[in-house]
Amino acid sequence: MPDTPLPRRFARLPANLRWSLLTLAALIVLALVAPWLSPFDPETPDWNAVLQPPSLASGHWFGTDAIGRDIFVRSFLGLRLSLLIGLLATAMALLIGLCWGAVAGYFGGRLERLLMRLLDVFSALPFLLLVILLLALFGRSFALLLVAIGGYVWIELARVVRAEAARLRGQPFVTAAVVAGASPWQVLRWHLLPNLLGLALVYASLIAANAVLIESFLGFLGLGVAEPASGLGSLLHDGSQELDQAPWTLLFPAVLLVATLACFQQLGDALRDAMDPRRQ
Amino acid sequence: MSCLLSVSDLRVEDGRGRELLSPLSFSLDAGQCLGIVGESGSGKSLTALSLCGLLPEPLQASGHLQLGDEPDAASSFDLSGDLSAVRGGGIALVFQDALASLHPLRSIGSQLRETLCVRRAMSRAQADVEARQLLSRMQLPGAMLSRLPHQVSGGQRQRMLLALALATQPRVLIADESTSALDPQVQASVLDLLRREVLGRGIGLIFIGHDLSVVASLADRLAVFHRGHLLEQGATASVIGQPAHDYTRQLIAAVRLPAAMPASPTSPLLSLRNLRVRYPGAERNALSVDALDIGRGEALALVGESGSGKSTLAKALLRLLPASDDGEIMLDGMRWDRLSGAALRRTRRRVQCVFQDPYASLDPRQRIDRLLAEPRRIHGRSTDRESLITLLAAVGLDADALVRYPHAFSGGQRQRIAIARALAAEPDLLIADEAVSALDARVRGEILALLNRLKAQRGLSLLFITHDMDAAAAVADRIAVMKDGVIVECAAAMALLEAPRHDYSRVLLAARPAPLSAQAG
Repeated sequence: MPDTPLPRRFARLPANLRWSLLTLAALIVLALVAPWLSPFDPETPDWNAVLQPPSLASGHWFGTDAIGRDIFVRSFLGLRLSLLIGLLATAMALLIGLCWGAVAGYFGGRLERLLMRLLDVFSALPFLLLVILLLALFGRSFALLLVAIGGYVWIELARVVRAEAARLRGQPFVTAAVVAGASPWQVLRWHLLPNLLGLALVYASLIAANAVLIESFLGFLGLGVAEPASGLGSLLHDGSQELDQAPWTLLFPAVLLVATLACFQQLGDALRDAMDPRRQ
Repeated sequence: MSCLLSVSDLRVEDGRGRELLSPLSFSLDAGQCLGIVGESGSGKSLTALSLCGLLPEPLQASGHLQLGDEPDAASSFDLSGDLSAVRGGGIALVFQDALASLHPLRSIGSQLRETLCVRRAMSRAQADVEARQLLSRMQLPGAMLSRLPHQVSGGQRQRMLLALALATQPRVLIADESTSALDPQVQASVLDLLRREVLGRGIGLIFIGHDLSVVASLADRLAVFHRGHLLEQGATASVIGQPAHDYTRQLIAAVRLPAAMPASPTSPLLSLRNLRVRYPGAERNALSVDALDIGRGEALALVGESGSGKSTLAKALLRLLPASDDGEIMLDGMRWDRLSGAALRRTRRRVQCVFQDPYASLDPRQRIDRLLAEPRRIHGRSTDRESLITLLAAVGLDADALVRYPHAFSGGQRQRIAIARALAAEPDLLIADEAVSALDARVRGEILALLNRLKAQRGLSLLFITHDMDAAAAVADRIAVMKDGVIVECAAAMALLEAPRHDYSRVLLAARPAPLSAQAG
C-alpha cells in the first residue's frame, strides 16, 4: 500500500472519514485566512453599525455585534483561537498520555500501581474549581489555559494506552525482542510506541473535540483567554446576550463550534472503525 | 447403502465475481466419512460454510444440494438461496475453536436444553434427561451440565460442542478442523468418539483437516483441495496408494518425515541441574527437572502434552522467568541463571527462540529489514543490506522480502522470517517452542528440513519443543519426554521411538495417527 499515490489512497477511505477530514481541513484553512478577507478590524467598535443584520451590501457578511464589531472576522478569529488551544492541548495530552500509559502498561508491577493511583487522584480532582482557582491566582493567560485543558484531557488517553500496552507486553513479538537482548527502553521505543500510536491517534481526535468544547465552555463562563482576544466560547456568551434582537450574533459562532466538534467526533469514530481488525 | 447428501456444481465467488471455489460435486452415504484435506485457504471451510448457507458477505455460493435419496422439493436445495431448513436437522457444523463457538456466559446444560427445547420441542424435564444422555454418549460426567465453557478443558469443550451438534439429530455432521487444536491424546479420543457416536449411528461425517494422517485415519473417502479446486477424490486407500496429482504426492510425502541425522556426542553447551519452577499460588511445581544437557550441535526434542511444563522450561532457559534460587543453568561453563542487567542482555544473543504463532511473533508495524537488523544492532553486528540478504537466503527467502511488512507473508514464510530473526543474533542455541505446530503439513515438512539444514551447516544446537512425536523424530538426535513438569524419559531418538521404556512415552507414541502406509494397505 505505501506505493499507492496519495489521492487514490484518500479516495479509498470510508466516506465519513473522507468528509470529516475535508470539512476539518476547510475549517482550519478558513480560520487561518478568512479574517484577512474582510476589511473590518475585529477589535474596533463602530457605533454607526451596531447590531447590523448579515448582508452582502454592507460587507458585514455575518452582521455585527452590540458595539458594531464584525461577526465574520470575530467568528473565524475565535475559531482560530479555539482550534489552536484545542489542538495544542491535544498534542500535550497525546505526549503525556502515551508515555505515561506505555510505561505503566509495559513495566507493570509497583510502578504501574503508582502511576495508575496517581491517575485516579488526578481524575478525582474537581477540575472546574481548580481551573477557576488557577485563573484567579495567575490571571487568564493563554499558557495557563493550555496547561489546564491539556492537563485534564490526557487522563482517559493514558488509561486506554496502558490497557493496550499491557496486552502488547504479553505478545510474542515483545518477548522476541527481549530474547534478542533489547533493553526495556529499546522495547518501548521500537515495539510498544509504534504499535500504540495508532490507538492513541484515534483517541486524540476524540480528545480534540473535548478540548475545544472545554475551551469554549470556559470562555462562555468568562474564564477564557483575556480580552480582547476571544475564543468561540466568549463569542457565544456575547451572542446569548443579544439573542432576542440579533440572533445572528449567536448563530454563526455556534455553527462553527458545532461543525468543528462534529468533525472531530466523526474523525474519531471513523478512525476507530478503520483500525478495528474485526471490521476488515 | 443409502445416499445421505449429494452436492453438485458447488461454486463460490466473492463480491467481484472472482472464483474462490471452482465447481465441484461429491456425495456421502449413511455412516460414511468423507475426509477433506488441503492447506489453509484451499477452500475446505468455504465448502463447509456454503453447505449451511453461512458464507460471510459478500461471498456467494451457487449449486445444488440434495439431502437423502428421493429428489423432491422438501429435500432439495439451491445453494444460493435460503438454507435455514438445512441447518441443524439436516447438516450440523462443528468448528475448530470450541471456546468461541459456545456461549461464554451460559452453562453447557442451558445451551443443550435450549437446542433440545427449540429444535426438538421437548419439555424442560425431557430436555434435561436427553442432555444428560448426550453428555454420557460423549463420555462426559453429568456434572458438566452446570459448567461454563471456560471451566473445562479443550478436549471436553470439543466434546460439548459435539453433543450440542448431535442434539439436533442431524443427518450429516461437518467437523471443520475440530480436532486440530487438541493434543494428540485428546485428539485420538475425540476421533474415537466421532467413529462410535457419529459414524456408528449412521450419521454422515464430513471431516475437514489439514493433517493428512489424522483425516486418513477416519475417512472412508478422501477429497484433496488445493487453491479452490477439488483435485481428486476417491476411496482413502486408493488416493493414498495411487495419488493422481503431484500435490497429493507432496502431502503424503510431508507426512512421511525424513529421519534426522544423528550428531556425534560432544561436551554440553547448556546444562541444567535441579531446576524447580513454581508459579505464585500454584500447589505443585510447574517444572522439576533434575538434569538435562544439550550438546554442541545437538538437537534435543522435548515432547509432552500441553500443560506438561515444556514452555515453562523454554522460558527458564530463555531467562524470561524471574530468577529463583533453586538449581543452576550453565551456558558454556557460565552461570547463565545468575546473570543480570547488561551482562544478561549481552549474553541473550547466544540463546534465541522461535515461537509457535508466526502471526504474533513479528511486530506488525516493522518492516522485515528493521526486524532482522534489530538483534544485530543490539549486539553490535553489521546491519548492512548484504548481511540481511544472507540471513534471508539462509531461510530460503528472496531479498525483496526486506522492504515488506509481516502481513504480506503466509504463515510458513513468516515462520522462516522468525527463524531468520533468531539467527540474526548469531546464537549458539535455538529454542523452537512449538514452532511448527501451527503450520500446514507441507509447510511443516519444509520448516523441519530447514531446521535440520541450519543445524548441520552452522553447528547450531537445537531445543525442539513439540507435542508431536513425528515432528520430534524428524529433527532430534535425542528425545526427552515430559509429563507434569518432570522428564520421565530421555534417550536417543531411534531408541525411544522403537523401544520406549516409560509408560507415558508409549501412550504418546500410541496416540499418533497410524502411518499412512498401514492405512493404505
